[in-house]
Amino acid sequence: MALLEVEDLCIDYKTKNGYLKAVDGVSFSLERGASLGFVGESGCGKTTIGMGLMGMLPPNGVVRRGRILFEGEDLLRVSAEEMRRVRWRKIAMIFQAAMNALNPVQRVGEQVAEAMLVHNPSLGKEKALKAVEELFELVGLQTDRIRDYPHQYSGGMKQRAIIAMSLACRPSLIIADEPTTALDVIVQDQILAEIRALQKEFNIGIIFISHDISIVADMCHDIGIMYAGQLVEYGPREDVFDSPAHPYTRALLSSFPTLTGKRTDLVPIAGETPDLVHPPEGCRFYDRCQEQIPACREKVSRWVAISPGHKALCCRCEMDGR
Amino acid sequence: MMENQGNAIIEIQNVSKVYRSRGALFGVRAKDVVALRQVSLKIYKGEIFGLVGESGSGKTTVGRLIVGLEEITSGEIFLDQENVTGLKGKALKAFRRKVQMIFQDPYQSLNPQRSVLDTVSEPLSIHRVGRSADRKEMAHKVLKSVGLSPPEAFFYRYPHRLSGGQRQRVAIARAMVLNPEFVIADEPTSMLDASISAQIFNILLKMRSTFHVTQMFITHSLAAARYLCDRIAVIYRGQVMEVGSGETIIRNPRHPYTQALIDALPKFKGSGEIKQYGTLLIEEREVNGEPMGCPFYPRCTVAEIRCEREIPGLRMLEEGHYVACFNV
Repeated sequence: MALLEVEDLCIDYKTKNGYLKAVDGVSFSLERGASLGFVGESGCGKTTIGMGLMGMLPPNGVVRRGRILFEGEDLLRVSAEEMRRVRWRKIAMIFQAAMNALNPVQRVGEQVAEAMLVHNPSLGKEKALKAVEELFELVGLQTDRIRDYPHQYSGGMKQRAIIAMSLACRPSLIIADEPTTALDVIVQDQILAEIRALQKEFNIGIIFISHDISIVADMCHDIGIMYAGQLVEYGPREDVFDSPAHPYTRALLSSFPTLTGKRTDLVPIAGETPDLVHPPEGCRFYDRCQEQIPACREKVSRWVAISPGHKALCCRCEMDGR
Repeated sequence: MMENQGNAIIEIQNVSKVYRSRGALFGVRAKDVVALRQVSLKIYKGEIFGLVGESGSGKTTVGRLIVGLEEITSGEIFLDQENVTGLKGKALKAFRRKVQMIFQDPYQSLNPQRSVLDTVSEPLSIHRVGRSADRKEMAHKVLKSVGLSPPEAFFYRYPHRLSGGQRQRVAIARAMVLNPEFVIADEPTSMLDASISAQIFNILLKMRSTFHVTQMFITHSLAAARYLCDRIAVIYRGQVMEVGSGETIIRNPRHPYTQALIDALPKFKGSGEIKQYGTLLIEEREVNGEPMGCPFYPRCTVAEIRCEREIPGLRMLEEGHYVACFNV
């Protein structure tokens, strides 16, 4: 049984103008210890997926449809009380700019201990602090910094403390939403290496969310490309990056500067993302697509298998029999 | 330090910037923060020069010192061989007509109460260029050149009705409208998505090819610098570590810091051909007393005793390739 199975997940945000379809019909699955990365530009719905999985959508967010099977249990059907039990204990999240999430007037070690005690009150404060020490060693923080306040930490150290906190209850799934965006490359590299090592050690499933293709390519075995609320391409990273099938994936890759290879011209994607309150009937990328055919606008795109495990949501790919 | 190949449009010589922090009311004064230490660079006419560094490296300070937004602590800056250090009044105004800056965050750098037309034509009226009708014509032209067309449709829009990419184009148009000789772009795409960033990069390239504007591109991304820039300088803790052509810096970095930076980049799409150097120490090395040597000394695997005490100056390794390291 897969660790996580998401089927046809649809999440709307209620706005003045109507329901905004932030996530529309997204399905994927994740095995224990595996890693899956979601890549897309701002507003594509990748963060909403993470929040939906955690059951932490903002007040105007509603799950319209779908199932989130985590260890066989549908998280959309459990009570709020049950969800509190799952959250953090089994599914933890590392947020965007999480280092700013630390309480500035509480010692870092105590904050990590608190995360443990909330979910496991029988542990006792003594034992919790002892466990924090172990966690600090695990994520490469010096244990003599436990009693420091967040302002005494560098950005990278704060991020490590947050990772320690997310590991506090030994979750089986971690959702990392742009965990290194605010960090410098050298620190980022160290944090990513740390996450990779911990994932291996504890066999944790990871969902990695980022706008930075290179990080996701580096971190994840499977990649999902998102555009305008939909998953548009999915597969092992080599397949997706070396032979991208969806025109959006290709466009995204050719707008991204690389360090090696020929210095080719970057091609920006012209136009803007569609209005998600009234999304187009057919393909959402239609207006900006270089390879559009009339059928793309008229009919709803369907998933096309490109190779085993690699698929694309594209009418054109279907026509070409790719 | 660097031989004169072609015409330097901007030259900065031994520029240092020290921020004095005030410290506690009673008790000892807090330590000064050295943002830049003895930085010398030459930027040649017509090139796009990349300044690459991590946050806090001083790269933005270099830009702000050149345009005169900050006061220089010591050293000199030249524009077309003319000393422009610490200009004031009329001279500063004349200088600003030739040197402009594009800022990082278009959500903050544009005045929310000014329409696009006002924003773009304001520099013209400040410098008394043309009459009102001419100014509109000039704004029209420059907006078109940054890809906001038809310009009329944008004239009376306010920033809140523009996307991030459109805002940054307005900011570029505002910098370009006076037809400056030199433009500094300070991380102009760090707030934007990849597909929009590529648009901005291409506009900057077009500014060079059509208006022959020399540019300094400040960024933390080596990949972006490689795409845009002819030459790249790598800066770390206020000091220039290495200068060379984009390809040289990426394929043949010689400074241990540059090598560590390249090691740390996420591997993506054939970056396997880039070798690993392993020049970064995991545990930082203790420095005895005041740090006075190479800024990378505490983390350098190839450092020697000398590196702790002395600051290495930039040396030429080969034509156009300079490194500040004793060990190279």
